[in-house]
Amino acid sequence: MKQLSAHKSKSKGVSYAKWGYIFIAPFFITYAIFTLFPQMLTIYNSFFENYRSGLKQVGPNFVGLENYITLFTPDKNGTIDILKYAGNTVVLWIGGAIPQIVIALLLAIFFTSYRLKIRGQQFFKTVIYMPNLIMASAFSMLFYTLFSPVGPVNQALLEWGVLEASFDFFAHKVSVRGMIMLMNFLLWFGNTTILLMAGIMGIEQDLFDAAQIDGANSVKVFFKVTLPLLMPILVYTIITAMIGGLQMFDVPQVLTNGGGTPNRTSMTLIMFLNNYLKTSKNYGMAGAISVIIFIITGILSLVVYRSLTKQDN
Amino acid sequence: MKKALALLLALIMVLSLVACGAGESPAPEAPKADAPAAEAPKADAPAEEPAAEEGKVFRIYAWNEEFKGFFEKYYEVPEGITVEWVINPSDGGVYQDKLDEALLNQANASDDEKIDMFLAEADYILKYTDTEYTQDITALGVTDFSNTYEYTVQAASDSNGVVKGVSFQCCPAALIYRRSVAEAVLGTSEPAEVQELLNSWDKFNAVAADAAAKGYLMTASEAATFRVFSNNTTAPLVNDAGELVLDQAIIDWQAQAKNFADNGYTQTCDIWSDECTAQMFGDGKTMCYFGPAWYFNFSMGNAQDAEKGCYGDWAIVEGPQAHFWGGTWLLAATGSDNPTMLADVMDTFINDEEVCKALIENEAQFTNNQAVNAAYAENPEYGNAFLGGQNDVAVFVELAKNIKFENKTIYDQLLTEGLQGYWREYCDGTVTEDEAMANYYKYINEKYPEIITP
Amino acid sequence: MATTNTSDSRKAKLMMQISQIVVYAILIFLSFMCLFSFYMLIVNSTRSNADLQGGFRLVFSDQFFVNLKNAWTDASIDIPRGMFNSFVIAASSAVLSTYFSALTAYGIHAYRFKLKKAAFTFIMAIMVIPNQVYAVGFYQMCIKLGWTNSFVPLILPGIAAPVVFFYMKQYMESVLPMEIVDAARVDGSGEFYTFNRIILPMLKPALAVQLIFSFVQSWNNYFLPALLLDKAEMKTVPIMIAQLRAADYSKFDMGKVYMFILLAILPVLVVYICLSKYIIKGVTAGSVKG
Repeated sequence: MKQLSAHKSKSKGVSYAKWGYIFIAPFFITYAIFTLFPQMLTIYNSFFENYRSGLKQVGPNFVGLENYITLFTPDKNGTIDILKYAGNTVVLWIGGAIPQIVIALLLAIFFTSYRLKIRGQQFFKTVIYMPNLIMASAFSMLFYTLFSPVGPVNQALLEWGVLEASFDFFAHKVSVRGMIMLMNFLLWFGNTTILLMAGIMGIEQDLFDAAQIDGANSVKVFFKVTLPLLMPILVYTIITAMIGGLQMFDVPQVLTNGGGTPNRTSMTLIMFLNNYLKTSKNYGMAGAISVIIFIITGILSLVVYRSLTKQDN
Repeated sequence: MKKALALLLALIMVLSLVACGAGESPAPEAPKADAPAAEAPKADAPAEEPAAEEGKVFRIYAWNEEFKGFFEKYYEVPEGITVEWVINPSDGGVYQDKLDEALLNQANASDDEKIDMFLAEADYILKYTDTEYTQDITALGVTDFSNTYEYTVQAASDSNGVVKGVSFQCCPAALIYRRSVAEAVLGTSEPAEVQELLNSWDKFNAVAADAAAKGYLMTASEAATFRVFSNNTTAPLVNDAGELVLDQAIIDWQAQAKNFADNGYTQTCDIWSDECTAQMFGDGKTMCYFGPAWYFNFSMGNAQDAEKGCYGDWAIVEGPQAHFWGGTWLLAATGSDNPTMLADVMDTFINDEEVCKALIENEAQFTNNQAVNAAYAENPEYGNAFLGGQNDVAVFVELAKNIKFENKTIYDQLLTEGLQGYWREYCDGTVTEDEAMANYYKYINEKYPEIITP
Repeated sequence: MATTNTSDSRKAKLMMQISQIVVYAILIFLSFMCLFSFYMLIVNSTRSNADLQGGFRLVFSDQFFVNLKNAWTDASIDIPRGMFNSFVIAASSAVLSTYFSALTAYGIHAYRFKLKKAAFTFIMAIMVIPNQVYAVGFYQMCIKLGWTNSFVPLILPGIAAPVVFFYMKQYMESVLPMEIVDAARVDGSGEFYTFNRIILPMLKPALAVQLIFSFVQSWNNYFLPALLLDKAEMKTVPIMIAQLRAADYSKFDMGKVYMFILLAILPVLVVYICLSKYIIKGVTAGSVKG
C-alpha cells in the first residue's frame, strides 16, 4: 500500500531499528508456533495415508501424491468433487458478497450524505450491525426453523394462497443457496457499512464541494471522487469478505446439518475438509484438501494484490 | 424503548455475572442421590469401603440423558465418590469421536480423568467390545446373567466370549399405532385385529394406500420402517472383504421409501425431525411409528404433551416383521480406577429387582431382567396408560424371544444415517437414483476410508 | 438522487423528498430484517416446548421465566459455566490480539528497519489464509503438547491476528503523526513507555472497535473449540448450543434451546449496545485515507 512510503521517520542519529524487530517479534513468534508450524505439519500430512479405523490407527504410511490423485479423480458421473465444492464456495460467496458490498456502499453514502440528513442514524447504524453478534450457528438454526416445512414461512405462504402445498426449502438448490447467501448478507452488511462509512468520512469535504461547484451531479461525484478515494478501504472490505467467503462453514454446515444438501450443492470447501477431520480423522486427505485450499487462497490474494497495486500506481 | 431494552439486558447480564462468579468454584454438583429418593427404592446400599484405594471420581461417557436420569434416581453412589458425566451428541458420530479420543488417551489420563464406564448403542458396540479398551466384567464380579436376555450378553461380549458390559434394557421393537387413526383406516383399534391386518409388508403397503385415500399418513417419515428392514438382513452392511453390500432387505426398504414418498403415504423427513415428531400431536394424521419401549417413553414427548398430545390413544403390536432397535449398553472401560463401583452399577441395573421394578413402573422401561418382566407380563393389573392400558410388557416378552444380535458392524450408525439422508434426496426427487447412491458412497469414503464402495 | 445544477429549486426539493422516502424505506426494511431474528428469538424464548412444536407465533407467551430457570439450572448444559468459559477465552484473546496487533503495527509504522517491507508484505499475504486450513496440524500439535481441554491454544494465537493488525496499521497511518514519537524521544521517554503511555491512548477508538470485533469473533467461534474441548466444565457457549441441537431429540425442550441462544448472545449484545456510539465513532474517526 502506498502509505508504506508515505512517511519518513525523522529520527536521525540514534538507530531505533532494533525496536522495530522487538515490537513485531511477538507476532511472528506466535505465528510461527501456532500457525506456521501447524501449516507445515498439515502439508507434511498430505503425503501420508493416516486415518482411524474404529479405534485402530492406520498409518502414517508415505503414499506420495496419492491423496491428491484421489482428490482429482473424477467420479462415475464425471464430477471432480473438490472442484464442485470450490465452485459452490465461490457461488455462495459471490452471491452474498456482491449485495453486501453494494448495499453497504449505498448505506454508507446515505449515512454520510449531509444533504439527505437521515434521522435516527444512530439507531440504524446500531441495528444493522446487530446480526453480526449472533453466532452463525444459532442464526442458521433460526433460519432452519423459519423455513422448515412446518415452519412459519411455509405456513404464511399457504395461508396467503401463494403455495398449494408446503415447499421444502431444503430440497432445492436455489432455495438452499439463496438462504445461505441471504444469511451471509445479513450477518455482514452492517459491518461492511461501518467500515465504508469510515472511509467516506475520511475523504476531505473540500473535494466534494469543489466537484459540486464544478457542476458535477451526485452520480458523477460518486464515480469521479468518492469511489476512487474509497478504493483502499473498499479493497480491504473485499479482501476480508473474500477471507470470510473462503472460510464459509458454520452457516451451511448447521443449515444443512453437515450434508450440504441437496446433492451436495451447498457443500463448501471447509465443510468438505471437516468431513475428513471427523470420525475417520483422515489427516492425509484433510491435509491434501488444506493444501489445495491454501493454493486457491494464494492465487486469489495474488490477483487481488495485483489489482491493488495497479490502483496505487 | 431502546434504553429500556438495554436496561433489561444489562440486568440479566449482571445476574449472569453474579451467577458466573458463584459458579467459579465448581462445587461438583453433589449427586442428587437423595433428592428424588421419595419413590426411589434404595439399591441395597452398596456399602463398600471406597475412597481407600479407589478413585474419587466416577466418570461416565454418554450421548444423552436417558440413563443419567435412571442412574441418579435409582443408584446410590457410595460416599466420597463424585460422578462426572461427559455427554456428547450422538448425531454425526460426535459421541464416538469424543469417546474414542478419550479412550485412546486413557493410559495417560490421571486417575480422576479416566473413563470408568461408557455407554454404547447396538449400532457401534462392536467397535468397543472387541478391543482392549473394555475389560472383562466377570473378573470385576458381575457374574450373574441368569435373568438377562441372552442377546444383550452376546452383544456385550468380544469375539472370544468375554463379557465387557451389560444393558439395562431389552429392546424388542413394535409397531406403535394411533388407535383413533387405526379405527378410521382399518375399522378396528384392537391390537389382535390390527396385527392381523398388518402382519406382512404386502398388507402394510396396501393399508398405506387406504390410509392415504382417507387422508391419513401411514408413517411420518419414509425412514420410519428402516429399522424393521435393516434388522432383518441376511448379511452385514460391510462384508469380510471390507466391501459395502446392500442386503436385499435394505433394497426392499429403498423401494418402499420411494414408493411411499411418491404416493404421499408418508412425509420425506428425518425420523428425528420436527416434521416427523409434529405428527405425534393430537392433530397429527399419522398411523404408525416403529420402536421399542424407549421410543414411546423417551422420543414421543409430543404425544404425551398434556395440552396438545394424544396420551392413551396408542397401542403396540408386532407389525410386519419382528425386530429390535438400539438399546444402551454400559461398558467397563479398561483402566477404571473404580472397579468396585463399576461392577456394582452394572449388577444393580440387571439384577436388583427393586430397581428393575421401578424402571418398569415409573419409567415404562422394558428391563433386562426376565423374571421381573415376566411378573409384570402376567399381572392382569398392570397396564401402560400411554398405550390405553395395554400391557406392553406382555407384548415385549413375546417379541423379545425373536431377538438375534447378528449382522452388525462397527460402522452401522453412520452408514445408516447416511443411507437414509442421501436416499431421502432421491425420494424427494431432487437427485436421480445414481446421484443419490454416488453421494452416499462419497460420504462413506469420507467417514470410513477403509470401506470399499461400488 | 437530487441534482444540484437545476434552476428549479422546487423540483429539486421534491426529488430530495422522494429520495429521502426511498432511503428510509430501504433502511427500515433492512432494520426489520436485522431485528426480526432477534424478535423471533425473544418470542420463542417465552414459549413452551409444546407451543413451539405446534408452529409459529408473533406474540409473546408467558414461559419466559420457566425457560430461563430451566436453561439456567440445566444439569448437563451448565450455561453459566459456558458463559464464564467463553468470556475468559474471548476477553483474553481480544485483549491480546488488540494489544499485540497495535504493537506490531506500531513496530512497522514507526521504525525503519531492513525487513520492514518484507514483514508487512508477509502479514498481508497470510491474512487471506483460512484458519481451518491448518486445523489438522494444529490439532495434532495440541494433542502432542497435551493442550486439549485447555484454553491456551484458544487464547495465545490471538497475538498474531493479521486482520486486526491491518486495521491498526491503516488507523495509525491516518491519525498518528511521527512528530509525537520524536517529541517523546526528545523528552527521554523509552520506546515501550512511549507506546504504552502515549501511543495507545491515541489509538483508543481503534482499540475499542477491534476489542469488540475480536471479542465477538472469539465468543462465537465454534470450529477450533469444538475440536479441542470436550470436558463439560471447559465447554464454551457455541459448543453447548451445538450439543443442544443434537441432543436427546424429542425430550429436549425447544423453549429452553431458544433461551440458551438468547443467553449466549446477550453479553455481546449488551456490550455492543452500550458501546455502539463509541464503536461507530471509533471506526469513523479512524477513517482510512486513500
